Amino acid sequence: MKNSNINLKDLMILVADPNHYLRRVVNGMLRGFGANKVMEVEHSNGLFQALSGQKIDILLCDMRLPPHGGLKLTRTIRRNSDNENRTLPILLMSSDTSETTVKNSRDAGANIVVAKPMSPSALYDRLGWIVFNPRPFVDTANYFGPDRRFKIEGYPGGVGRRKGDKILDVAAEEGPALGQDDIDSLFSNARTGQS
Amino acid sequence: MSKQPSPPANIFYADTRFERLARRPGGVEREQAIQRAQTEVDDMKADFGAWIDGEFERLNAALSKAADAPGDKTALERANFYCAQLRDVGATMGYELVTFVARTLCEILDAYVAGAPYDQEIIDCHRNAFLLARMEQYRHLRPDQVPDLANGLLRVVEIASIIPPDPVP
Repeated sequence: MKNSNINLKDLMILVADPNHYLRRVVNGMLRGFGANKVMEVEHSNGLFQALSGQKIDILLCDMRLPPHGGLKLTRTIRRNSDNENRTLPILLMSSDTSETTVKNSRDAGANIVVAKPMSPSALYDRLGWIVFNPRPFVDTANYFGPDRRFKIEGYPGGVGRRKGDKILDVAAEEGPALGQDDIDSLFSNARTGQS
Repeated sequence: MSKQPSPPANIFYADTRFERLARRPGGVEREQAIQRAQTEVDDMKADFGAWIDGEFERLNAALSKAADAPGDKTALERANFYCAQLRDVGATMGYELVTFVARTLCEILDAYVAGAPYDQEIIDCHRNAFLLARMEQYRHLRPDQVPDLANGLLRVVEIASIIPPDPVP
């Protein structure tokens, strides 16, 4: 059977979110997954200090991290050709799961988006997806980041698409809000190859 | 003048340290990892009640300041910050309804910051909904289990988020 377990031991994971309780929760989840090196920062200045001070292996960043916001930070990390963290895996955590926000995340160069509030399984499966579905990086005049043409067929060892896994069962009346599956679908574009 | 062709895209595999090391054998099996993570989360629930009480207090104080100066975007954004804190962890910690109420209030506060007319009754309505949502017998309920409350708040968001167009000069 194909290995779908992720081994986070000795990997430096940076969690950037202004909410200290959420950082604590995510930290706890990651330690439950086997991580032993988790750093936390509450704003983007701390994030850049952490990135310049040591080798970070993956960034979990809030979409609205003050003062710059996750999208701008992702673009900054990706666009700077002298930045050794340019290919750093970036997982954006967002409570705003509108179609526009998710598309913007993809176009900024994020590897994947996870909806807040999150469950341990949602976080594990998205980390697993980054690990076991490596995408090539694309470097063009106006984009640097993971190839935006991909399709999620299900998470390695996970439960894949879950029709009933709605964040809110009344979501149909909420207008633009999307569930995690919808987010994943928006990140896929294998058919047309266009954003 | 002919258009210059775009330079070809450079496509490469980064094979990051994260990808390499996370694929090593010896990782925790998925089900076990999730179970252990859930145990970590459950262990935090003991002090979550105290945290959520503190956040409610800070949110209420921020909402009161916003009520004193409804046009003050800083006050509204401060209230939105505390509301977002509740929204982002509530459901993870078993407070489904708190997340739902906080989500609708965040949308309304976002709309107020964007220029929708401030309405104190809508804020009070959410304060009352929070009082209900934090009660032991309600906090685990999903929005579909309290459809009157959920649909009412969604309707309130719909109405309160309308931003009037700028007057024609």
